Amino acid sequence: MKNLTNILFASALSVALISCDKSDPSANNVTLHFNNTFKDKTIVLGDANSTQASINTSAAGQTHQFSELKYVISNIRLVKTDGQEIPYNINDLDKGATVIDHSKASTLSYVLSNIPAADYKQLKFGLGVKPELNTLDEVRFPNFYNTAGKNDTKMMWEWGTGYRFTKIEGFYDTDKKKLSIHTGSTLDGKRENQATYVPGVDAYRDITLTLPEVVLVGKASTVIYVKADFDKLLSGTTNTITLRSGTGPDDNATPNIHTADGMVQFVDNLGGNGKSNQSGMFSITHVKN
Amino acid sequence: MKKSIGILTLSLIILTLACNRKEAEEELAIDNPELPLSIPKGFPPLNEAFYKNKPTKYGVELGEKLFHEKRLSGNNTISCASCHQQSKAFTDNQAQAIGIYNRVGLRNTPPIQNLAFIKHYNWDGNKRQLETQPLVPIITHEEMNSSIVEVMSKLKVEKDYQILFRKAFGDPEITPDRIYRSIAQYEYTLISANSKYDKVKRNEGIHFSDTELQGYQLFQAKCASCHSGELFTDQSFRNIGFPINPSTEEAGRGRVTGIREDYMRFRVPSLRNIAYTAPYGSFGQFKTLEEVLDYFDKGVLHANNLDPILTENGNRIPMTPKEKSDIISFLHTLSDETFITPR
Repeated sequence: MKNLTNILFASALSVALISCDKSDPSANNVTLHFNNTFKDKTIVLGDANSTQASINTSAAGQTHQFSELKYVISNIRLVKTDGQEIPYNINDLDKGATVIDHSKASTLSYVLSNIPAADYKQLKFGLGVKPELNTLDEVRFPNFYNTAGKNDTKMMWEWGTGYRFTKIEGFYDTDKKKLSIHTGSTLDGKRENQATYVPGVDAYRDITLTLPEVVLVGKASTVIYVKADFDKLLSGTTNTITLRSGTGPDDNATPNIHTADGMVQFVDNLGGNGKSNQSGMFSITHVKN
Repeated sequence: MKKSIGILTLSLIILTLACNRKEAEEELAIDNPELPLSIPKGFPPLNEAFYKNKPTKYGVELGEKLFHEKRLSGNNTISCASCHQQSKAFTDNQAQAIGIYNRVGLRNTPPIQNLAFIKHYNWDGNKRQLETQPLVPIITHEEMNSSIVEVMSKLKVEKDYQILFRKAFGDPEITPDRIYRSIAQYEYTLISANSKYDKVKRNEGIHFSDTELQGYQLFQAKCASCHSGELFTDQSFRNIGFPINPSTEEAGRGRVTGIREDYMRFRVPSLRNIAYTAPYGSFGQFKTLEEVLDYFDKGVLHANNLDPILTENGNRIPMTPKEKSDIISFLHTLSDETFITPR
C-alpha cells in the first residue's frame, strides 16, 4: 500500500513537473534578433534601378546599395554575470550556426534554446566559421551544409573547401557599378606543420558584445536585439575603404577582393580586427527580458 | 523448461559468435598488399601525406574506378577522367576546363603526373595534400556540381563498390575519407619517368639528337632557373607577366594567401609531357609551345611583383628562331609515351 502511494505520488510529481515545463517551454529560450542597417535605418535591398533600396554614403563619399546581404553566425556563447561562459553548440554547425539572410525575415531571428537559468551580461559569437569546423563536412553537418550551399544562398567557396562568411552583392557610385564583396578563410592546416600548412587568410572574427542590461534567463523568453551596421563595411573603425572596379590588385569592388589583401580590410571592418576592436559592425541596441 | 530455454539461448549466442568470427576471418583473409612504387632517381622527396596513405592493391583499384566514375557528378556525365585524360597526360587540350553542362572553369586543367612528389597542388597551391583535393571538383559548380553525400548515396547501391571498398578498407562502408584516400592512392601511382630524356639520363643506349642536345643546353641557360630538377619545376610561385585572366575570380597565389606580393603568381608547372598538354598558361593563353617562347622573346607584361629573373633582363627572355626550335625539340624529349598509354 505504501508502495502504491509512493508510485502515485511520484507520478503526480512528474505530471506536475511536465506541466510546469509546458506552461512556459520557452522560459529558457534566448532569441538573437539581427537588424541589418545603414547607420540606424534597416536596410532595404534592391537592384540597380530600385527606387526603394536604401542608399548609403561612405566616409569616402561613395554611394552604395545592396541587392543581397548574407552572413554566417556561429560559435555563440553567453557569459553569466559571474563570468562563466555558456557555449551554445559551438562545435555543431547544425545546432549552433546559422546563415542570416536579409531577404528572409525568418533568418533574422535565431533562437537559442535550453539556456541555463541565470543572469547574463555578455554575448559572444563568431562572424564566420572557426577554422577547425570550416571544412564543408556535409556528412557531419548536413543541415548547415545545405542551408549554406545547396539552395540559393551560395555561401560556399568550393576551391577553398570552406564557407563564405559574408556575401554582399550590390552597386556603388552614381553610375551603379557592380559591387560584390565576399569574405571567407583560405588558410588550411597549422603553421607548425609546414608540410601541410596553406598560408592563407583567417577571415573568422570573434565578436564580444556587452549587454546594455542583464538578461534574465529562466523566467520568460528573452530577446537580444543585435544591430549589424553595414555602414561600417566601407567606413569602419579599422579602415576607410574606397571601392574601385577592375582586375588589378587594388581593385576591390568585385570578387577579386576575396583574393587580395583587400579582403582583410572588409573583414576587419565587419568583424573587428580581433585586437583593438572586437565588435566590428555589431552592437546591441536593447534586450527584452 | 526454463533450463532448455537457457540452453537454446546459449547455443544461439554461440552460433552468432561463430558466424561473426567467420565473417571476421573472411575480412582478415583479404590480401591487400601495399603497392611497391619505383621512385625515379633524382626526384624530389615524397609529399608527407603519401606516408599516411600508401597505395595498396585495392586502394588503387578503387581509386582508378572512382577516377573514371561519372556518378561523381550531379547528372552522371563528368568524371575526373573527363578533364584528366590519360592520352593527354591527364589534361584535356582545352584552354579552360569544361565541366558539367559545358560550364567553363576558371583555369587550364593541370596534368596529373608525379603528384606524389609535389608539395603544392593546383595553379595556386591551395592544397598541400592530395587527399583534400577530390571534394573540390565534386562540389564546384563549373566542374561536377554534386555533393559528397549525393555521391555516396549513388555508390552505396552498387555491388561492385561494396566489394571494392571492403577489399580496400576491410569493410564495405563508403565514407568521404575512403573516397578521397583511394583517389589519392591511384594518383600517387601515376609516375612519369620513361621519356627519351630519362632514357638518355639513365644511359640506356639512347642519345639526344644534335638539336635536342643544343636545346637541352639552351634550356639549362634560359629556363632551368625555374624549371629545375627532375620534375622541371622548382615548385615555387612566380609572376612571369603572362596575359591576365579577365575573370575577377583570378588572383593567382594571392587568392589563397591574401598577400599582395602573390598577386598573379602561379606555381611553376612541371614540363614533363609538356608536348601532350597544350594549350599552355593558367587559362590556356598559348596554343602552342612556339607561342609561349615567342611571348617570352617579345617581352612579358610588366607587374610590380614580376619575377626578378625577368625584370633583370628587360622583361624578356631573348631567343633566336633557331634557339626556340632547339628548345622545343628538347621539350619533346620529355614526352613519356608509356605514361599516356593505358596499362
